[in-house]
Amino acid sequence: MDTWGDTWGDTWRLPPRAVLLAAVLLLVAAELGGASMSRYKLELARWARTGMLAHPDVHGLVGVRDVDERALDEALFRFDTGLRLFHMHAEGMALVVVATTTVAATLARTAVPRRTLIVLLTVGGVGYPLGYLIWSALIPSYGVERSKAIAEWLVWIPFGGATIVALLWLAALTAVRMVRR
Amino acid sequence: MTNRSAFDRVSPVVGRPPLVVVFVAVLIIALGELGGAVLSQLRPAAARWAAARVAANPGPHGLTGSAEYDETIRDQAVFATEAGLSFFHTHAEGTGLVLFFASTLVASVARRRVVRGTLYTLLTLGALFPLGYLVYSFAVLRFGRETGVEFAETWVLTPLGSAAILGLLGLAVSLARRGRR
Repeated sequence: MDTWGDTWGDTWRLPPRAVLLAAVLLLVAAELGGASMSRYKLELARWARTGMLAHPDVHGLVGVRDVDERALDEALFRFDTGLRLFHMHAEGMALVVVATTTVAATLARTAVPRRTLIVLLTVGGVGYPLGYLIWSALIPSYGVERSKAIAEWLVWIPFGGATIVALLWLAALTAVRMVRR
Repeated sequence: MTNRSAFDRVSPVVGRPPLVVVFVAVLIIALGELGGAVLSQLRPAAARWAAARVAANPGPHGLTGSAEYDETIRDQAVFATEAGLSFFHTHAEGTGLVLFFASTLVASVARRRVVRGTLYTLLTLGALFPLGYLVYSFAVLRFGRETGVEFAETWVLTPLGSAAILGLLGLAVSLARRGRR
């Protein structure tokens, strides 16, 4: 029986090695991202600013220093925010992938649902944080809002949606196993 | 006989906590993801709704009828509400993972059933800590900023946060005692 404290001897099953590798690589990317943001802060800001100055219409630059500086500062702030959010989300989602695929590998008994859950959790979890990187990278060329919309439709909605659907499915599956036992 | 130190000993298996604990961990992570998605898509609507709730509830917020003063109060309350929702998203992702990994350690190292049961209970209650931020958001709108924050801290955040701390301390003690054997 599976109530408080009665599971001594029950063990976790490891998810496939490819999943663990993807999660570890995401962790590495997150750490590298954080380190690069700190080490190359000035270079990154300079690169973004040059890109923004090359697309004055996109950023509403009018050639008046006071007005333009405010617009550039706002866009640079968003550029930096995107990089920071990539760093944070990549660290978190890598751990979420490890934890949730372990649950799926252990509790989903039939092969098709197990594989589907593991694929959704891995692809969604690894892909989602990359949206923040894409958002930042696109800001100089497309502006804050347009690049956000691109990242949203290309990455956040499909990959985030996959993760949410898989997590709710996994919670339901765990609840069913709990009730049946 | 071997002369290996405690740090050299490894266990061939990692224990699995009860399904109730796994369910809560997965559910909290799923709610955290869902909360982030909802917050990102509905931020303007949520801010408008919060501002309307403040206007409809002038007494607890100390609205005076002076437009400038009332606007400041309203902005502060809306900001606190949004902060609560944002904290729910970030903390839920974190505490769900803490419950998963910490309860796995409990299942692997705590041999006495009563100890395991106590630690699972404390850690599971601790994982519900982010729900305090949802209470925080709604309490700010219902009771005013100061009273609302105090209400959430006293009745939800402090008890659940304390449960998490006690559970983790208990796990640390279990690990320390296991290491000395």
